[in-house]
Formats: sequence, structure tokens, C-alpha cells
Amino acid sequence: MAVIAGRPNRGALLPSRLSALSSSRAGSLAIFIIRRILWMIPIVFFVILITFFLMHLAPGSPWDRTGGRQLSSVVTHNLDIKYGLNKPEYQQFGLYLWNVAHFDFGLSYQYEGKTVTALIGEGVPYTATIGVLAFLIIVPIGVLLGVLAALRQNTRTDFITMGFATAAASFPNFVVGALMVVVFSVEMARWTQHAFFLPAADFGLDDHLIMPVITLSLLPIAYTARLTRASTLDTIRQDYVRTAWAKGLSERLVVLKHVLKNSLIPVVTTLGPTFAFLVTGSVIVETVFNIPGIGRAFVVAVTSRDYPMILGTTVLFSIVIAVANLAVDVLYVFIDPRVRLT
Amino acid sequence: MQLGTRIRALALASAGVFVVAACGGNNSTPSLNLAPAAQQILRVNTGVEPNSFDPTQQTFTYEAAVGRNTFQALLQAKADLSDVQAAAAKSYDVSSDGLTYTFHLQPNAKWSDGKPVTASDWVYGFQHFLNPALAAGYVDPFFDGTIAGAQNYGSVDVSSASAIDSFLSGLGLSAPDANTFVIKLQHPAAYFKWVATLWVAVPLRKDVVESAAGGTFPSTDTTKPEVWANKASTIIGNGPFKISEIASKDHVTMVPNPNYWGGTAKLQQIIYYYISDGNTEFSKYQTGALDIANVPLADVTVVKGDAVLSKQAHLYPQLTTYWMDFNAKKAPFDNPKVRLAFAKAIDRDKLANDVQHGTAKGIASFIPNGMAGYDTSDNTQSFDPTAAKKLLSDAGVTAATLNNFKLLTRNTTGSKTLNQFIVDQWNTNLGLNIQLDVIDSKTVTSRIRKGNFDIYGPSGWGADYPDQQDWMDVWFAGSCGSLNFGCPTLAGYDALVQKADTELSQSQRNADYLTAQKMLIDQAAGAFIYQPYEYDLVQSYVSFTHTAFDDQYAPGDQNYFSAYITTH
Repeated sequence: MAVIAGRPNRGALLPSRLSALSSSRAGSLAIFIIRRILWMIPIVFFVILITFFLMHLAPGSPWDRTGGRQLSSVVTHNLDIKYGLNKPEYQQFGLYLWNVAHFDFGLSYQYEGKTVTALIGEGVPYTATIGVLAFLIIVPIGVLLGVLAALRQNTRTDFITMGFATAAASFPNFVVGALMVVVFSVEMARWTQHAFFLPAADFGLDDHLIMPVITLSLLPIAYTARLTRASTLDTIRQDYVRTAWAKGLSERLVVLKHVLKNSLIPVVTTLGPTFAFLVTGSVIVETVFNIPGIGRAFVVAVTSRDYPMILGTTVLFSIVIAVANLAVDVLYVFIDPRVRLT
Repeated sequence: MQLGTRIRALALASAGVFVVAACGGNNSTPSLNLAPAAQQILRVNTGVEPNSFDPTQQTFTYEAAVGRNTFQALLQAKADLSDVQAAAAKSYDVSSDGLTYTFHLQPNAKWSDGKPVTASDWVYGFQHFLNPALAAGYVDPFFDGTIAGAQNYGSVDVSSASAIDSFLSGLGLSAPDANTFVIKLQHPAAYFKWVATLWVAVPLRKDVVESAAGGTFPSTDTTKPEVWANKASTIIGNGPFKISEIASKDHVTMVPNPNYWGGTAKLQQIIYYYISDGNTEFSKYQTGALDIANVPLADVTVVKGDAVLSKQAHLYPQLTTYWMDFNAKKAPFDNPKVRLAFAKAIDRDKLANDVQHGTAKGIASFIPNGMAGYDTSDNTQSFDPTAAKKLLSDAGVTAATLNNFKLLTRNTTGSKTLNQFIVDQWNTNLGLNIQLDVIDSKTVTSRIRKGNFDIYGPSGWGADYPDQQDWMDVWFAGSCGSLNFGCPTLAGYDALVQKADTELSQSQRNADYLTAQKMLIDQAAGAFIYQPYEYDLVQSYVSFTHTAFDDQYAPGDQNYFSAYITTH
């Protein structure tokens, strides 16, 4: 163990096993991942801190009703006691942190006797199914369209794919979703005398998935396609690509082996946040197609000031985003040999 | 009654029973034309998942739509709303002083697991409901003011089990024998028979609640007493249906309770979906995946013009009134003349036809058409722009002063459209330039509760039951900030209404409530604007009896016991 100028060398304080690890590529990756996971603790802490105080600052109490008979002060007082809202806010915050450290996210205010963990657990499978399916469509289609457009720059293929991308990015998904329902459910049912049509709403592991997944994918496909096109155009002008062409390699080989790997780096950077966005749920898609997912649950929690549910979903979202970004950083290592993780 | 996301307290304009049936009313023929059992499935949208399947904890109409079918209250409303009739109680007696109600329970009533329903189950259910630690939302409007001993509801220390226990055992509830349930009141209350029709006033099974909770628990516990209501297998009710499946956030399925004392329902399944978006509900109905659906306001003209859909559409009046609130704690709205001027400057017929596309009826009085107390003889608030202008000039208020005020508006399409129409009416008819102040809904509620607004609307009230008492206490001075937000000072109003509430003679009560309503209209406690109608689509093969207000969410949902699907 080398000591330089009285200071232990980097890694010297690590147990010898770990320091042996850190010298290898896989080892440094493992340490990088562990460090990033530990970093999530302060991140989640600040997410909780900011969310907690912002949400208590927002006007309106969880017990206010949208209209009609408001709960009397007797009842709201007892509800405050029931859910611990009668305590000072710093105490509530401390208690919440203590409970979160024990993986207890509390009881929802909206649903009598239901824990936040259970509510989130109910919503995640729906949202994740649609999000993951959308992601599986977005990556190949987006990249394919982008590469095609770049290789055939300023041809009809380029104009059509980019025209599609611009249109897909411009139409808000509530318009696309509602329009698809009208065409493929309502009108189709009418034309075919209810023989063939897509279900207008609800979740199901069958044709119910088609319209929500398409609606959710359009914007990210457009975005990915444009990004891929730009970076591919950049890559194909590089000297090494020109060399590859000059060597007389086939187009397929040049594109797959030399262009794609390098042009994908900026795309991969955005795929992390895109994935996080997809699996944390789209409120609009979940509302239009009546999918009981986590995105809608979060918005309902915010509008009804269901504090534990707001905090629980925010913590989940922050973890998902952090993990997705971590995954992107790790992916770099495999795509771009120049990248070294420290 | 909560006027929440959507209001489904329905009333009937003329009288009685409304039958929606297949093929233009051939329902009177003895043959029911029943579809086979496999097709006896009714699919309805209730919009939102119930916050609880424990009826005592339910406060919204979309929740009571489940609670009313799975549990049965002592009494229920007659179809024409003129009186109550037998339900879980076969009959009831009232002592001559009006203080003791004796309910004779259905002798062969059984729980959905087959055990007999006893009077002590009723006592337990009421005690569970009245436990202040559980803070049930519907306790205080009705029960703490009626049941003997419950007046101390608000002063019980909810952290002390002994305080709660002594409060609960001191309540005027008793079970002299297995089939008799006696309730003692604090004061005579002729409307208590209606209170006994509410979905919250039901029996509960102590053994079921405790075994689901994993044993006995102190009365201070707020989570264990509700564990049973989260699982279909432990929701043991006394109603005509029982819950067979809870698909959280998606739907709940009910099937007939084979042990229901009144026989077995014809419908083999009722599925309540939770579709929050009105357009999604409408699309789903059009693909044939829903049997009953509400028509979104924007699609009313589409449905009216559609050859097929227009035949399936029905207009159901609701026992609900909407009005505009003026902050009477602030000048110049402390002056009844100013409020009245605003009330008289709204063309209600135009509102009902243009804004609500004919799914509403203009009203210039408080109590809606279809229940006791509806009276249009006082037309003080009727549309009259000339008189309105004169009232303003008499009050000495200038347009410049009034133009500083804003109409506080919830950030929802319905509220914005309505309020834009209302300010246009005021600006045109009174020569003003008032603007809207549109903010998110929760913030609006918090501001109106604190009296932090100039004008707000629409405020609404829907009947919990068709007795004037349920309506008139909205305008008590003590209801300021919780039931009414304008908080007008109405001299003598509280005393008059309280007298009517405790009066035993119905004719005297009616007369007193009428006088009280006249105060509300003449002093423009609010500017009463319209009574909404439900515009619903019903597939032609669905047959059900629609009884006015008793429907909680979708038409007929209180009588699904007698509903059925015809061959199609």
C-alpha cells in the first residue's frame, strides 16, 4: 500500500479486496455503481425535503371538499389527529423520514386504511407494462427512422420520415389518443356493426394495449428519430467513416460497424430520461384510456392534497430517474471505449 | 350531500316512478322478456373508486352507489318521495313526544354469509360510525344533532379509549331484543325517519371487523377497525348484493347476496367502472362496453342529433340547486339590494338552453323541483334587468366600485363556461365590467372557506334526503364557511328554521320552512340560478326503476335489486 507525501493513495483505505477490484475494469464499474447508489440517499432526502415543504405551502387542506357539504371543524380536527397533522411540521417531517428509513410510507388520506406502498404497488404494473412496451417500440423505430433519414439525406425518404417526426412531435397526445378512440373504437364499431374495433378504454393484456402504447410512443419516436438523424449525419462525415467507404466496405458494414455505434451515444443519453418518463406514467394517456396507473394516481394525489401519496410517488419517481441515469452512464462504457468511470 | 366531481342526486320533476325499459315501455306486460342469466350483467361507470367500502365512512355519491347496494339502511324513500317505507326495518313507531324511535327489524334478515342480522349488530354499526376517532364524514350533519348523547361528539378526547367508550355506551342506542332496535333522540326531529334512510346508518358485524383486524383493538385505533373493508371476502353486508371482486382503481363487481331477506336479484353481476374522463365513458358506451353512461355537456347536441343515440337518451332531473355566493361580510354585498340586483340580472332560461344545452332548468328559488318545499310563488329573484339596475342605483353603488370585484372561478371547463356567461349577463344587464378570477379547485375551496373572495360560484346543494331540514340549515349563521360561503346576515332565520326542525306537525313545518325560504330569496342570500338534469344514455335492453333522488350516482342504482337485462 503506497503512501505518497504522507497521504494514503487513492483507494488505500479500501479493504484490500475492494482495492484489488478497483484496478480491474469490472471492479471500477462495481465501485462506481455502489457509489452512485449511495449518492441516492442524499438525493432522496432533498427530494423529500423540498416536496414536503412545497406541498404544505400549497393552499388548501386535504379535508377541503370541491363543493357542497364541507367537513365540520370537529371532524377535520379528529382527522388531523388520526393522520398526525396536528403536530408541528418539523415533527411531521422528522417522523416521516424515520418511517421512510423503515420503508413505511404511511397511509393514504384518500383511501381509508390503505398504505401508500400498496397503492403504488397496484399502479406500477399497469404503467410499467405500457411504458416498457412503448420503450421497446421507440428505440428500434426511432433509431431506424433517424439512420434512414440521415443516409438518404435530402431525398424523399428523408422528407417523409422527418415530416412524420415533426407531425408526431407537434400533435399533443391527448389529441392523438382521443382521435384514435373516435376512429378505431367508436366509428369502427359503427361501420363494422360491432364486429371489429379496438376497445376504447381500460387495461388488458391484449388489443387494449395497442392505442395507449402508440399514443405514448409517438413523441419519443419523433424525438429519437431527429436526434439519431443529426448525430448520424455528424458521424458519416468523420474521417474514419470516409476511410471505411474508401476501403470498399459494403454500406451495411459501414453503417452497422462504424456509424451506428458512434452516432448512438447522444441517443443513449436521452434514452435514460425517456425510459424514466415512460415508466412513471403519462397522466394524459392514463386518463384518455382509463388506465389505473401511477401517473394518474400522482396527479389525483396532488389535486386532493394526499400528502403521503404525493411524497411516496415523488420518492419513487426520483429513484427511477436516478437509476435510469445510472444505467445510461454504465451503458456508455460498453458503447464508447473512451469513457472511463470514476 | 357532497357535490363532488359529478353530482348524481336525482329527482323527479312531476311525480313518482320513471321506468326505462326496452322497446318503448312494454314493461307493463307481465312477461319480463328476461335475457338468460349469463347476460344479466350491468356495466356502469361511477367515475371514481370509493375511498372506502365501509358504508359508514362513505361521503360521496359514487361511494354510496356501492354502499347502498351492499348494505341496507333501516328505511328507504318511497318512489314519489312523499314518505319513507320499510327496508331493513319492517316497520317503526315513534313515541308521542317524538323522542323515541323503535325499529322492528325484518325477522328473517340475514348477512351475506348466512348469519342472522340482530339488533345488536345495529347498535355496533352505529357505534362504529359514531366513534369520533374514526372521524366519519357524514356523522356530524345528521347524527350528532339527533341521537341522544351524540351532542358531545366534538368534545370527546380521541386519544383516550375510556373517553370514547363511555361516549359510545352513553349513546341513545339499544337492542331490547334481537329484532328491535331503539334510538333515542336529543330533541324531537320529524326528519329523523329520513336520516334513517342514509347509507351510513347500517349494521356491522363485530366478529367480522375484529377477526379481520386480528383481534380486539382499543377504540382509539383508527386503522384496525377498517381492515375488513379492504377485502371482498370480509365485506359481509345485509344488502341485496355483495362485493365479489375489488379491482383497485379499475372496477368493483357485485353479485346477488343469496341470503338477502327480500329474495335474489335478477342481475347476476353489477360492474362499476372508475372512468374519470367523461369523453372516455361516452366512447366506451358507444362501443357497447357500458350499459349506462352520462353524456358530456359538449356532446349533448351530438347525441340529440344522432338517430340511434337520441332514442337511448333520457333526461333525469336532480334534486340539486346551484347559486352564486356574494361575500356579505364586505361592502357593498352586505346590502341585500345589491345582491338582489345581481340575482335579477341573470337570464336563467338562456343559461339553461345556451350554456347547459337544455340539461338544466332555471330556478329563482332555493328548494328544487321534485321534493317537499319546492315553491315558485316568490319571483323576487326573477330576471328583470330594468328592476336590477334600479336596485343598484337605489343602493347608491357605482359601476366603478363594482368593477373592482372579481368572480372567483374553479379551473374546470364547466365552471369557466358557466361563470363567463354569468359575468357577461352582469356586464351587459347592469353596465359593469367584472372579470373572472380562475384558480385551481383546492385553492378556491380554501379561499371561500376563509371568506377570501368577492363573488363565487357556482355553489350547489344536493339533497341527502327530500326533507327541507336538509336544505335550510345550509344558511344557518353557524354554517358560514362550511355549507354557505357568502355568510349573509338573515335576521330571525336561525330561530325559525330550528323551530321547524323540532316541530312535530308537518303542516306547521312546511309553513315555517316556506317563510324561511322567502327570506333567502328576498334578501338574496345567494342568487339561485339553475337545477341540473342528468342527461344519460341507457342501452335499450336495460330495464330498471328510476326513483328520483334515491339514485346515488347512475340512474336506478338504488333499485338494481329489481333491474334486469331483456333479451337482445
